[in-house]
Amino acid sequence: MLFTIINGLATGMAVFLVAAGLTLIFGILKILNFAHGAFFMIGAYVAFMIVGSNPPSLWLFLLASVAAGLVVGALGFITDRTVLRRLRDVDEAYMLIATFAVLLICEGAVKLIWGVNYASINPPPLLDDAIIVGSLFIPTYSAFLIGFGVLVYVALDLAIHRTWLGKLLQAISNDSWMTGLLGVNVPVALTLSVVASFMLAGLAGGILLPNQTLSPVLGGSYLLLAFIAVIIGGLGDIRGAFIASALLGVIESASSVLLPNIPGLATYVFVVVFLLVKPQGLFGSAST
Amino acid sequence: MKPIHFLAIAAALVVLASLPVWANQGVTFIVGLALVEAVFALSWNLLFGFTGMASFGHAAFFAIGGYLCGAGLRYATGVPFLALLGGAGALGALTAFLVGLVALRRSSGIHFAILTLALSEVLRVLIAYSTALGREDGLSAIPRPAVNLGVARLDLTSGQSYYWFLLVASALLAWVLWLVAKGPLGRVLQTIRQDPERAAFMGVDVWRYRLGAFTLSGAVAAVSGALYAPWAQIITPDSAHWIHSTQPMLASLLGGAQSFWGPVIGTILFTAINYATRTLIGLSEIVIGVVLLVIVLSAPSGVMGLLRRFESRRNRPAAAAGGGARVRAATVPTPAGEA
Amino acid sequence: MSTLLSIADIRKSYGALEVLKGVTLDVAEGETFAIIGPNGAGKTTLFRVMTGEAPCNAGTVRYAGRDVTRAPAFERVRLGMGRTFQVARIFPDFTVEENVIVAVEARRSSRGDAAAPRWFQTRPRADVRAEAMEQLERVGLADKAASDARFLSHGDKKRLEFAIALAGRPKILMLDEPTAGMSPADRMATAELIRRLRGESGLTVVMTEHDMDVIFGLANRIFVMNHGEPIACGTLDEIRANPTVQEVYLGKEMYGAEG
Repeated sequence: MLFTIINGLATGMAVFLVAAGLTLIFGILKILNFAHGAFFMIGAYVAFMIVGSNPPSLWLFLLASVAAGLVVGALGFITDRTVLRRLRDVDEAYMLIATFAVLLICEGAVKLIWGVNYASINPPPLLDDAIIVGSLFIPTYSAFLIGFGVLVYVALDLAIHRTWLGKLLQAISNDSWMTGLLGVNVPVALTLSVVASFMLAGLAGGILLPNQTLSPVLGGSYLLLAFIAVIIGGLGDIRGAFIASALLGVIESASSVLLPNIPGLATYVFVVVFLLVKPQGLFGSAST
Repeated sequence: MKPIHFLAIAAALVVLASLPVWANQGVTFIVGLALVEAVFALSWNLLFGFTGMASFGHAAFFAIGGYLCGAGLRYATGVPFLALLGGAGALGALTAFLVGLVALRRSSGIHFAILTLALSEVLRVLIAYSTALGREDGLSAIPRPAVNLGVARLDLTSGQSYYWFLLVASALLAWVLWLVAKGPLGRVLQTIRQDPERAAFMGVDVWRYRLGAFTLSGAVAAVSGALYAPWAQIITPDSAHWIHSTQPMLASLLGGAQSFWGPVIGTILFTAINYATRTLIGLSEIVIGVVLLVIVLSAPSGVMGLLRRFESRRNRPAAAAGGGARVRAATVPTPAGEA
Repeated sequence: MSTLLSIADIRKSYGALEVLKGVTLDVAEGETFAIIGPNGAGKTTLFRVMTGEAPCNAGTVRYAGRDVTRAPAFERVRLGMGRTFQVARIFPDFTVEENVIVAVEARRSSRGDAAAPRWFQTRPRADVRAEAMEQLERVGLADKAASDARFLSHGDKKRLEFAIALAGRPKILMLDEPTAGMSPADRMATAELIRRLRGESGLTVVMTEHDMDVIFGLANRIFVMNHGEPIACGTLDEIRANPTVQEVYLGKEMYGAEG
């Protein structure tokens, strides 16, 4: 039971790492970024190029993840300049299609560059072990994921609510015209946040590399769950996305124990029921 | 209908009907798939382009029809094919009605989109779990049927004859959808897309019309799936996958969601791009992605919108000059308003 | 004169904020009834409750002898309530004529008219088009029937909205700030239009308005609100003489408030 929950939390944190960037970019640009999953995948491939199938050390693994974050962050800068910036006053549905187009381009590029073969990656040394507490068996990598997820959440929450830039971004999100009038360079601030969101995607790609089968369909698999976490958590709400991710992970994990033959069913049923009962999200008030 | 439109449709029908005579089997097969996808896209766009609702789980209806027809042809050999098609339409309509009954009351916009997506994924997971439906491998070796018309018996077991049947059926479905979209019903739906609240203040029961459009759209999507199963002779859980749901969206937006024929044009373009880039893995995604991006960023009214702008510019140069800039703000449909 | 619209003890809160604190009023058939009050008085909220755009927390709305408190907007429209919006709302993707055609067709099909459109006839019926043109002529837009509605000027959009509302053959016309954002000349033209339409069809009119010249020219009775409560109701002279009203508007010109 406890094992299932811990396993679920690890999955949930993996989802959160993807959802964090997604909800961040939505909170600021009001764009639901389909391409996020693809950039996550590119991050994974970049990290894979550095560490290979058997990461030689934990430090190199972490370094590779950071490098993946930087590369994807740079791609984010390019995407912002070429695409996202032009989508500011386009309708919601067309934003989705545009980011979906970026997703297609990324997937095509991944197939062209790295081929369609599968690769599997082991956890680096120190994370391929397990912690045994009494009868409880916790893979260190799961423990690491949970810790890392919480760390990212705390860092983001602090960055948004405590720092000058975070407050600025909140102001822009509320009323970018007014904020611009107050002398803030809105475009630069927006670009910064987009780059931050993409860096998160790349970082997540590196961190989640172990125990993963790397292939060009990787982008879609996490994207859907992350999307759902963002919607359930309330669009643009980091805390909501965090809790929703953990919840989804536990449900997924529990259902793989209880209904091993029908993977995913419980999760989707939960989503349907949740959206019908509380369409405004976890912490949303009834009036919105 | 303008004469030029009539000519275009007649020419397209002639080319399509004569296709098996002059093109090879591979091309005919791909065009047959495109016909099915075109009808599927038209059914989706009745919701999006005309009523202003974005369903992200439309593939579920396609799969319902496809599996019903596939299973019927394999297991219930006594059931006439036309009954299977009708049954698929009825089941699609019923499912859409029940889903719409709940979902349209409780959600709109992005929530409606995610809700339909999750429901279609539930269906996909259940299909992949069902042994009778072939689990992950799907139903294969689906036989092509014979149709008994009373006076004559149509043997559709050969690829050619089924292709012609497919063409007639697709044309009929498109025609029915055209009547709905262009008639008084379509006009009401378009008022709902543009401003649901304003429509309500004309005495329109918005919810009921949305439900009706959703039901009709689900029925047509299911029939398109039912037509697909014997053509491809296989149907897999992938037909219910959310990636398949994005197909009609891409086709509609590429072709122009505001135009009735936009989704068809978009499907043709997609098929052509896929065919032209089939040898290099990854290239088709890049080309399609770039084309889509260019469309959304420079001409959000799609190919048909571009044609129409070109047409009106020729007719009255002055009036159209200002039109281009405003297209984006005014013709972009608002998904169901947050009520 | 019989009462056409009557509301009793309407209360409405947004969260902890009580916007309407028990409003009661009666509108008689054939009269023009204006609701005025300073900013934040609750005029627009009251208007939304009367038209069915927003639900109220307590109280009743009766229309033509029927309790319509819980009736959604479209049902009230079918009973003969027409309305316009503060910022004219028309269908921008349609031509001017199509805007009115859909309104005529909506009325016909919702009232089970024998001449209702059939789904397989794609073109609007000739009599529908004739009726639409008639409404356009009434508001003076017949010559623009074929142009795209989105290219109309602000004043013309407002006119078109009147035509859409009239196509529903309403008994009562609810006008939410019909002259908001208009130039003085357009305001007078709109007031003139309302006066003429009212005379032609014997319409009952309920309006909120900031422009006192428009109100003085049109209203039979004026209802003054402040802080979500009625403070006076009566003819123009009675309102002018009312000390509470003078106090509310003290230091301001009567038409100084903004929307």
